[in-house]
Amino acid sequence: MQTGLNALFAAAYLSLVAVGLVLIFGVMGVINFAHGELFMLGAYVVVALYTNLQMPFVLVVAIGLIFVGLVGILMEFTMFHPLRDNPLGGLVASIGFLMVIQASITIGFGVRMEHVPPVTQDVIILSEKVRLPVQRLFVILSAFVCLTALWLFLKKTKFGWALRASAQDPEAAMLQGISTRTVSIIAMFIGAALAGVAGSVTAPVISVSPVIGHSVIVSAFIVIIVGGIGSLEGAVLASVTYAFIHTVITTFIDGVIADIVGLSLMLLVLIIKPTGMFGTQDRV
Amino acid sequence: MKNFSSQTKREFLKRMAATVSAGMVVGLPKMSLAAGETIKIGFLAPLTGPVAAWGKPGLDGCQIWAERINAAGGISINGESHPVEFIGYDNEYDPAKARAGASKLVIEDGVKFVMMLGGDPWPGAQPVADRTGMLFSTLLPSDLGPDTTTLIAPAEVHPIYNVTGVQWLAENHPELKSAVICAQDDALGIPSVATYLAAFEASGIANEDPILFDAATTDFAPIVSRMISLNTDIICLDTCYTEFVHPLVEQLFQQGYEGTIISCTADFYQQMIEKTSAEFMEGFVFQFPDFDDPALEQDFINFDDPAGFFSEYNSRHPGEWGAVSWEYASIMDLWKWAAEKANSVEPGDVLASMLESGQGEHAFGTADWWGKDLFGIDHALVGNWPVVVIKGGKARIQDYKWIPGWYDEFGDILKKYFTQYNLMWDQR
Amino acid sequence: MAFIGLLTLVLIALPHGLSYSQREILVVLTINILVVSSYRLLTLTGEWSLGHVVMMGVGAYASALYSKEWGVPVPISMIIGALTAGLVAWGLSFPLFRMKGFYFLIGSFAAGEIIRLLWKRFRDPFGGPKGIKRIDPFPDIDLGFIRIDFFDPVNYYYFTLIIVVLCLVILWRIEKSLIGLTFHAVHWQDKLAESAGVNVRDYRTLALVISSTFAGLAGTLLAHYIGTVNPNGFDIEQMVFVLTWAIVGGTTTLYGPIIGCITLTALNEIVLRELGLEQGRPLIYGLILIVSVLFMPKGLEDVVKRGVAWAQLQIVKERTNGV
Repeated sequence: MQTGLNALFAAAYLSLVAVGLVLIFGVMGVINFAHGELFMLGAYVVVALYTNLQMPFVLVVAIGLIFVGLVGILMEFTMFHPLRDNPLGGLVASIGFLMVIQASITIGFGVRMEHVPPVTQDVIILSEKVRLPVQRLFVILSAFVCLTALWLFLKKTKFGWALRASAQDPEAAMLQGISTRTVSIIAMFIGAALAGVAGSVTAPVISVSPVIGHSVIVSAFIVIIVGGIGSLEGAVLASVTYAFIHTVITTFIDGVIADIVGLSLMLLVLIIKPTGMFGTQDRV
Repeated sequence: MKNFSSQTKREFLKRMAATVSAGMVVGLPKMSLAAGETIKIGFLAPLTGPVAAWGKPGLDGCQIWAERINAAGGISINGESHPVEFIGYDNEYDPAKARAGASKLVIEDGVKFVMMLGGDPWPGAQPVADRTGMLFSTLLPSDLGPDTTTLIAPAEVHPIYNVTGVQWLAENHPELKSAVICAQDDALGIPSVATYLAAFEASGIANEDPILFDAATTDFAPIVSRMISLNTDIICLDTCYTEFVHPLVEQLFQQGYEGTIISCTADFYQQMIEKTSAEFMEGFVFQFPDFDDPALEQDFINFDDPAGFFSEYNSRHPGEWGAVSWEYASIMDLWKWAAEKANSVEPGDVLASMLESGQGEHAFGTADWWGKDLFGIDHALVGNWPVVVIKGGKARIQDYKWIPGWYDEFGDILKKYFTQYNLMWDQR
Repeated sequence: MAFIGLLTLVLIALPHGLSYSQREILVVLTINILVVSSYRLLTLTGEWSLGHVVMMGVGAYASALYSKEWGVPVPISMIIGALTAGLVAWGLSFPLFRMKGFYFLIGSFAAGEIIRLLWKRFRDPFGGPKGIKRIDPFPDIDLGFIRIDFFDPVNYYYFTLIIVVLCLVILWRIEKSLIGLTFHAVHWQDKLAESAGVNVRDYRTLALVISSTFAGLAGTLLAHYIGTVNPNGFDIEQMVFVLTWAIVGGTTTLYGPIIGCITLTALNEIVLRELGLEQGRPLIYGLILIVSVLFMPKGLEDVVKRGVAWAQLQIVKERTNGV
């Protein structure tokens, strides 16, 4: 049971990161290597505003969402839009951006881990062996709220429809009179904001340091492959599956084996369904 | 690795310097210091990247050390005083970059001593040390071997001092009978696991199988669930990185653990108290004191004005204080002591002066040059080590324990576990 | 011809114009040129791998273990080490070439990461996270009248230079041969090539095996120089560096990735270090990457091409003016 709750928590923040990554890849056709750094940036917003300036946590999370979303738009304007016909260039630029963010944070905040005081220490005791800290519940709820909001946005609004259309076929979408530029900007904002919010809400629970983006991005890659690239529902479902398998193996066998199993799972999916959603079209 | 006589070393250095000076203006390494000439010391450690937390704060500490020493007249050699300067090189924790960095510091910058973190980059720098006879230091004694004749581990004989915490715990809380250890699976975690296993066994405490995790772990809830399910009296956090100790402790708190916790480090323990509670952290045993601890003001302590150093460091680099902040500086204290005693800054003379009496001036008191059994060479400085316990929300030294004394009694148990984890020098 | 002669002279004289530690960097740079050039061979078929540096590691680990555990003489262990990398690549080609494009990229990452985690997990024989230390160095050559000591970076530089130049010639010949032309065909027209009777998958496999063998050889050159290997030395961050060298340099010519590698290494290891930047080094390097792909989308090779074309034009103009 405790393991199930642990897995649910891991699934929550992982799915936020993975869905953002899928959204950006779907609409822009670029692999955002700096996505883990957006997560890290979200956590540092909490360090700067909540730890240092002692602003209310919920407000800080909202600022984290908007700030990192804006960084996403900045990336769109400076890198991904000018490089829209050059996905490999976009990849290298996102690697460059990753280094810039990481180094800036290191210079601004130091190399050591940062302190985020707990928002609440309440623990919901479900049974003697099963405890759910409220902070973790908050992460799970935030993920649920954000993903539901995104789902409603995509299914019920005109923008959402335009976004899905451009993700499936940008040219056809353009013929329909959809401004792919506007769609790109919105996708970048949402994708980045999701990573930022994931970083902000988990900041009090994890150790915040300039290098936390790395371990998040690897898991997120596994998840988006297993879920079928370009599928948002798939990414969420895969996050839950992956988090559950990984947590169980870490609890009962060993963490390195859990990583190996996760990667093997991804390879297996690639072997069985090698070209995924886009058929034979090369995206890279 | 071949051993080079001092004759070939000198020839090698000359030849190297000669070829170098063909391209750039670099003279022969000077055999004697000019009056008032600055003494250069190399600092070859990770300054960027994931391991930077083990290097950068140390360089910051050394800068403060240098300012304090220079303000007090520098280092006195043959009656002449010389200022000290540190030259840093970022090895990015990469052996190839460590090799290039070692060459630059030794051959081009003309440093007299090189301090390293050790670990992965050391084997890259080792050939340079062998050929030039340069004196190097490491924080990780597992780098030592019978052939590392110019490498010393003078500050922190990690993880051997961890036995002192367990020894203190067993003496003061004899009711504790079982323990489980968790650690990240790497060069820092594993030797420490072997040491804690030995220390628990020596104190008659039963060990569960250690729980190892990958260094890329972000969520520690599963690991903590597993440890709690084993129902031991003690949970040992080994030498986990600060980034891991905090979430581990927080999870232990949130998952309702009520037993005793022992750990090698507890950097930023006030933040852990804030994340848990003062009651939960009461009795937490670890090995690294705050430097404003009154127990460091005793006469046998060799670190000069620890409280002043501590407050200066914290005002310049808030939130960065940790073990490495003072350890590199304390190595410099030892080096200064040996160089002034030898009236020379040449690596060979300083090393000979350090080892001369079989004892050296360690931060926590005069200590023995030790380690032949475990490392194949007596180049580790081992003596007193403090046991620190959190009491009423403040970390305070409870006692100093003499490590060679523990080893004389229980050395065989430690060797057994070192052998089991392939850590003995002849197994590497 | 005059150009090749000049280049040879420059390459021979080069280490003598550098400081000792810069020579050390030069040795690693020469080895990395082989890594990035062999990587380019695979990209000819249109596939981009994220497992190339791990293949370099396979060579390094294999050669280190053969020489250390079984006492195989170092030059021979290097050759078998490189072949081992090729063999492992051949084995991996079965799952990996069920994928293409983006999926191959991610699949190669997963495969490489699994190999790396196996090194980490299995202390025997791979040494776990600490890797293997005290790898035998390349043996000194004693010809009686002269003794060549490969600890000296200048000697080892000449040694790697010869090997790398040989490898580059081989890579160039492969590219210009029928096989190389087929690689191009596989990239641009794989449906057409297939209907013309070309077994596309066999050619992709061949490209992967050849490029991995050379990467493995580069790994052995590094292992027996530095004397230690560990899993972190071949992680995704190292791969990212190779990828950026190739893309910033450009991959349509043989020299593109090479100038990319030289330029970026010189900037990062020499210029930025000389400026005394510590924490700022990755920041500026990152900015350089962004700026270079933004303003040189076709890579440095395109700048070189245009430079050469401009120079030729000037020469032609001058001659016509003269007449």
